[in-house]
Parts: sequence; C-alpha cells; structure tokens
Amino acid sequence: MSKGQLERNIGFLEAMTLGGGTMIGAGIFILPGIAAEGAGPASSVSFFIAGFVALLAALSLSELATGMPIAGGSYHYVNRALGGFFGSIVGWGMWTGLMFASAFYMIGFGQYLVEPIPFLDGRVFVVLLGLIGLSLIVGVNYYGTEESSQLQNVMIGAETVVVLAYVALGLFFIDPNNLEPFAPTGPSGIIATTGVVFVSFLGFEIIATVAGEVKDPSRNIPLTMILSVVLVTILYALVMIVTTGVLPYQAIGDSLVPVSDVAVVFAGAVGVVAIVAAAAIAAISSSNSSVLAAARVNFAMGRDDLMSEWLNVTHDRFGTPHRAIIATGAVTAVLIAAGLQVETIVALLAEVASFSFLVSYSLVHVALVVFRRADPEDYDPSFKIPDVLYPAVPVLGVVLTVVVISQMAPIIILLGLGIVGLGVGWYFVYVRDHAIDRGLIDEAITPTTDAYRVLVPVANPDTQQDLIRLAAATAHAHTDEGTPELVAVNVLQVADPDPQQNVAAERLEHQRDLLDGARDIAAEMDVQLRTVAMTGERVDETILEAIGDEEPDQVLLGWGGTLTRQGHVFGPNLDAVVEDAPCEVTLVTLHDDTIGNPVALAGPGPHSPVAARRAAEFASIDGTVPTLLNVQQPMGDDNTTASERGNGVIDDVAERAGLDPEDYEREVVVDDDIEAAILATADQFDTICVGLSERSAASRVMFGTIAERISQEATSNVGIVRGWNES
Amino acid sequence: MPLTGDSTILVPVDVSITEPPDQVILDLLKPVNLVVLGYYPVPKQTAPAHLKEDHEAEAAERLESIVSRFARGDHEVKDVLVFTKDRQDTIDRIAEQHDCDAVFVPGETDTIDRILVPLRGDVNLERIVSLVGELVRASDATVTLFHSVPEGTDPSQGEFILRGAADRLTEGGVDRDRIDWQLSEGGSPKRNIIDLAVDYDFVVLGEAEPSLRDRILGAVLTPILEEIEKPAIIVRDIE
Repeated sequence: MSKGQLERNIGFLEAMTLGGGTMIGAGIFILPGIAAEGAGPASSVSFFIAGFVALLAALSLSELATGMPIAGGSYHYVNRALGGFFGSIVGWGMWTGLMFASAFYMIGFGQYLVEPIPFLDGRVFVVLLGLIGLSLIVGVNYYGTEESSQLQNVMIGAETVVVLAYVALGLFFIDPNNLEPFAPTGPSGIIATTGVVFVSFLGFEIIATVAGEVKDPSRNIPLTMILSVVLVTILYALVMIVTTGVLPYQAIGDSLVPVSDVAVVFAGAVGVVAIVAAAAIAAISSSNSSVLAAARVNFAMGRDDLMSEWLNVTHDRFGTPHRAIIATGAVTAVLIAAGLQVETIVALLAEVASFSFLVSYSLVHVALVVFRRADPEDYDPSFKIPDVLYPAVPVLGVVLTVVVISQMAPIIILLGLGIVGLGVGWYFVYVRDHAIDRGLIDEAITPTTDAYRVLVPVANPDTQQDLIRLAAATAHAHTDEGTPELVAVNVLQVADPDPQQNVAAERLEHQRDLLDGARDIAAEMDVQLRTVAMTGERVDETILEAIGDEEPDQVLLGWGGTLTRQGHVFGPNLDAVVEDAPCEVTLVTLHDDTIGNPVALAGPGPHSPVAARRAAEFASIDGTVPTLLNVQQPMGDDNTTASERGNGVIDDVAERAGLDPEDYEREVVVDDDIEAAILATADQFDTICVGLSERSAASRVMFGTIAERISQEATSNVGIVRGWNES
Repeated sequence: MPLTGDSTILVPVDVSITEPPDQVILDLLKPVNLVVLGYYPVPKQTAPAHLKEDHEAEAAERLESIVSRFARGDHEVKDVLVFTKDRQDTIDRIAEQHDCDAVFVPGETDTIDRILVPLRGDVNLERIVSLVGELVRASDATVTLFHSVPEGTDPSQGEFILRGAADRLTEGGVDRDRIDWQLSEGGSPKRNIIDLAVDYDFVVLGEAEPSLRDRILGAVLTPILEEIEKPAIIVRDIE
C-alpha cells in the first residue's frame, strides 16, 4: 500500500494573510474605542506592550513550531512538553479563546453595519447581524471550501489598503491638543488596556496551528510569525495615534464604531463607506480564520487522545470536521447572544480571549524550556532563539504575562479561571483515562535516574505487546532500585528523507499506534513506559544511538529466530546491537503465547547466571518459578556423582544470579548425549533462557552450539541472553 | 529510474472518487513511463493529516486499482499518494521530484485519431516533438502541428519551425502522410488554438512561462484547457 504524503500548500503570502490578516482584521476597527477609553492617547503604548508580549511568544513558538511542524500550535507543544494536564488546559483555552475572539469579531461586524443605518438601532440588531454573519461562516465551513488564496489575498489586501490610507490621511488631521494628557489613566490603565487589546495578536498563533501545512516551514513559520507581529504592532500603534489625535479620546471611547467616526472627519462619507466595508470584510475573514484554527486544535487534541473521536470525525462527502465546526459555531452563537444582556460585551469577549491566550503563551514559554532541557531525540528545530536571548525570552514572557493578567478586571480573571478549570476538569473526567503522553517534564527536571531501565525496540504491532510484557517483567524485578522504566524505541527507517514532507506527522502517527499497544501492558505490569521515536538510515546504528542516549541496563529485542549466513548471525539489524550494546542484551523469539514455566540452562558459560535471572523474571509473568537445568554425562557407572556435579553447577549459577533456593526448581539430567538431552528436556518448558557463549578473540558474536540448536529447534519461546559487556 | 529512454508522464487522478481511466487513454499512454499521482483533495477547513487518518486506506486501494490498469511489462508505472489542498501545487512538486517530462490532463473523448500540437517557437520544441513521436509511433493517429505568427510579420519563420518539427517527427518514425501543419497569421494564438481544438481528439501543449499576472491569478494554461475540454498533455519546460 502506498503511504499518503501530506502536501504543504501554505506559502509565505498565504501565511501572512492568514496570520497577519487575522491580526489587522477586525480588532483594528473595534478596539480603538475601548483602548482609548482605557488609556487615552497612551493606548498606543498598550499596543506596543501587547506587541512585545506577543513577540516573545512568537519567538518561543517559532522554535517549537520548526521543531515540530504539525497541526495544533501551542496546544501540541504544551501537551508534549508538560503532559495531558496542561495540554488539556491549553487545548480548551485555545478553543474557547478562539470562540470568544470569533464572537468578538462578529459583534464588531454587527456594530459597523448597524451604526451607519439610522433606522436600524440597538443591540438587538447588532446581535442579530452578528448571528447572521456567524451562521454564514459556519455554513460555508461546514460544506467546505477549496483553497482560494487569491480571493483571500485580495480581501486582506483591500482591507490593509483602507487601514493604511486611514493612517496616512489621518496623520495630517491630528490635533496635538487631543494628545494631552497623553496618559490620563496612568501606568495601570495602560497595562489594563494591554489585556483587552491583546486579543488582536492571536493571529500569529493561527500560523502555528496550521504549521503542518506551511511550505518550507523552517523559513516561513518564524518569518511570518515574527514579521506579522512586528508589522501589526506598528500599524496598531499608528492607528491609535491617529484615532486619539483626530478626535478627543473621550469622544472615541463612547463610540461603537471609532474608526468610522474618525474617518468621517477627514474623509467624509466616502471614508465611512470604505471603513464600513473594510470592517465587515475584516470581521468575516478573522472570524473565519478562528473557526478554521479551532477545528485544527480540536483535531490535534483528538490525535493525542485528548478529545473524543466523535467530535473529530470528518464529513463523508465534504471532508470537513463538521461536528467540531458546528460545536465551535454553537458556543460562539451563545456568546454573541450574550450581547443582549451584557452591555460591555465587546470588551468582555476580547479580554477573556486575551486571558486564554496569555495563559497558553506562558505555558508555551515553559514548554520551550522543558524541550531545551529534556532535548528529546526528534526535537531539532531549525529556528532557535539566539543564545543571548535564552532564557531571557521565556522568562520575560512568563513574567509579562502574569503582569498583564494581574491588571485585568476581577470578573475577567474569574471567567478566565473558569476556562482553565474547564481544562482541568476535562483532564480528570476524560484525558486521564485516554491519553498516555506524560510529557517531558520529568526528563527536564532529572535528565538521568539510577532506576533500572529496559530499552525495547519495537517495530511490529503484533509482537510489541509480548516484548513489552517481557521487558516489564524484567523491569519489575528491579523495583527496589527505584521505579523501573521501560523505554520503547521505534526507528522509522528513512532511506532518503524528503524535507518537504511531513515525516514529523507520520512519525507521530507511528508513535501513537505504538503507545496504544504499549499502554495497557505497562499499566498492568505497573511500570513506567516512555517512548522514543527515532529516524535513521540504519536500524542497528539508530538503536545503538538510543542505547547511548538512554543508558539502559538491558535492551530487549525481538528476533525472528532465523539464522542468516550471509555475513550476519542474527540479522543485519541485530548483530551490531548484540555485539556492541554497553548493557545486558536479551533476544527473544516467541513461538508460544504463554510465557508459563521458564527454564534456564545452568552451564559453565559466562552469561548463564544472567540467563537464570532472566528466567526468574519471566516466570513472574505467570506467577511460576523457573527451573535451572543442567545435564551431565554419566561418570562411569555412578549416576550419583554426575548428578552431584550437576547440582553443584546449578548452586553456583543460582548464587551468581542472586536467586535464593526457594526461588527456583532444579533439574539435573544424566545422559550420554548432552545436547539431545538438553533439547528434549528444555522443550517441555514454555520458555527457554540460554546464555550466549563467550566472545571470540575476533570479537564476532559467538553463539555456542547448544544455544544455536535451541534457537533453531525448540518449539518453546526462546530467550538468548548476554550479560554486561566487560570490554 | 525509467526502464527505457522513453519519456515519463505524470497522470493525476482524484482518489476521493472512483473513476476508472478511459481505455483510449490507457492505449495512448502505453509507450511511455508513468507516474500516477493519486491526489486526495482536502478542503481548507481540514488539516490534511486529518483526512489522511480517515481515508488513507481507501485512497490507497483506489490508487492501486487504477495503477493496475496502467501496469504493463515494458514501461515503468510508479504511484504516489498525496493529500493536498491544491492539486496544482502537488502536480508541480511531484512532476519535479520524479523528473516527469509532461503532465496529463483528463478530458472527454471516445477515440484518439487526431492530435493537435500547437508550437510556440523554439521554446521546448525538442521535448514536445520527441514526446509526440513516442506517443504516435505505434498508433494510427494523425498529427497536426500548429503555429501562429502575429499579423504583418514574415510567415516564413513560422513555416520554418513547422517544417523542422514535421521533419523531426518523420525521422522519429512517424509516417509523413500522418503529419500535416497549419500556420495562422494574426489573431490571438490562444483563441486560435481553442477554435481549432474543436476538430481534434487530443492536444499536446508546451508549458508556458507564466507572466506576473498569471502567477498571481493562476496558471496560464488553465483557460485554454478549460475551454477545449479535450484530454491533453502539457509538456514541461524543464530548462
């Protein structure tokens, strides 16, 4: 079956119109009134502060997004770094934040359409028009649209031209007297206003949300995010200066359509028409982008098992995530309708959306630090925050976020915390039972631990369950050394990585399949399981690399059981690991579903105590006791002497393996043909553990004849064990 | 690597619907190597990874059954499956990646007896002529070469191009009596091609360098192809 590729269709211009367009979008027409009321002419400073906070977030997000360019944005990075609890908070925060923002745009839409028409009046019409606009957007998105970036480019272009013309013309009509006093509400008023206007900066997050679709992501994602934040900040500051300069801020503060009220001063009726048209386009396109982004967040949550599949399903005919879109639309409609009751609905919606995104961004900063500290294998961002700015960017980002939130009105903080609470509640009700990702935070705090660790390379979904079960059993025997840990490694073999395509997404898909299979077993055996996804051209080298990184005590590998003779012993993927891994190595060949009663060959070989210990560990799976087997040739006529010698060997092996006499059964067989007797006896057990022979001087893997015959002829499960490499 | 020195043509198919390829097209494309691009259109609302998750198996199965119709012994048939929001983007990328000489454009026809080959001066001439040669060598189809010169210019230049192309086709093993040419003077070349195409079953066009306006508003060939509604091959301008 051919593997589907994912095309990246969003180029630089589309990303700019998506992100930048959403930012200059509706906010620029609605916010100046609220901002002027909150901070007077100094509201331009509020926009600068908001822009700076956004820029810090854009820097951290850029690094994370180029490290993991797949759908989901902030949610995905936080979920991976900090686990399902915070993932759930950010996922729900972003989703509701986008709903609040969307409702905010649509109320603005209503206000701009209602205001210039004298006979339509009042909030009922504003709300009604908002709802009509919203249902239009939801309807279009339900049925699905083809990528029509041309239309979007033209619309955003037109809107930008109107705003630029407004600024350029308006600058000549500024009355310096209006700018006095510059900051009537003082610093706290400026900061409080920052909290309201921050909603205008959530557009760059939309770029991160669609990161999986951006062409040349390592260039375009950082470039468009940072560029759009910088340009939009400058533009907003200019708009505020013009707006508060042309009319006294008190007059603007009272207006629902501030930009249009100012435009009428210097551009007359033509100006008003242009502004109203631009505001309507802006509201529709911003709201549309929010609905799109909300569906992506929902998909990403579903992908990580944080959201119900039911909500995530795509429509049979239209291919759209219709249920997520309807859900987003329904909640947004309720929020718009709340405008009937709540007088300050616009500011309220804006501020709650800001709150949600501020919380998300501060967690993104934390996620960045966690990623840098834990440094997981597959995290290799092409954009890195320069060393002089790290950790200043994330630290300052979190601090400023807290400062801005602290100046918000109590009711907003309450509502915002309610949304955070929704995420927390969701975690306990749903996520905890479904998702497995524990995040990287443990590794970030304590990168290495002394607890027993077993590395299990897994590739085949049919056998990985058994491998993990066996690995868990061996890990379980070491609980006294601290909580043991399993590391499931999957190597995605890539012959020729194509940087254009979504290896990241495929890798994730693979990893998830793996996690699903591993989860139940790990839970059942009460061990911690962590997964590492790697890509490499050669499987053996990549596994050795993982062993080098993880420093496990044991590596447990599945082996088909066929010896190859073309220059390999166990196979091209295994030989190097068996030879060179600086830890214990167990190769298992599974013929039987039950591990049942294991037997270990207690012989003179250097690895036979390890084989005995492994047999004891495997025995714990089915609650049995291992048997140590030794076969001796008869010595003259006296079988007693031979069996005494056999018992002596068993005692010795058991002692070196650290097994107490009650921990194992013993069996000594006296027979002329040792090999035949071993085979015949061992085959009565469900699982046979056998140590490798010593290495030869040529340092090739030495199998040993008995081990080899068992691996080829036994019908039971076989574990071939090698102890620590002394060399 | 292609098994022969023959050209490679990219054949895009929409794998979100079941649509078996026409027999005439299968016959026509026999003498060349193929890259069958199964694309699954993704609406703007949906992350491509999302649809891939839901429809990959079904899409791959469809693609496989289409590829099996194309498969034959002496030429290679590769397949690629892509979830995309923009079919053209994907066609361009895959054609580039697999070194395709031309891209097939589906259209309505029952038979392929008459092939129209508009030529635009020296651009891409070599490639177009050799591809046409490969396609018709084994069939009975007739080829009409077409060139348009602006009104008032010396037509001998255009005649030279057409005569040269016809000679090359003959050298390539196509009977001379299956080749004719038509030179038009004045009028819009685009219009001329569209009017002429009505009488033909199949068109082989050279890719045009898009103008700035075309880059912003869409590919230049789209209007021609949309109007003629005939199956066609667009020969890529690689150098």
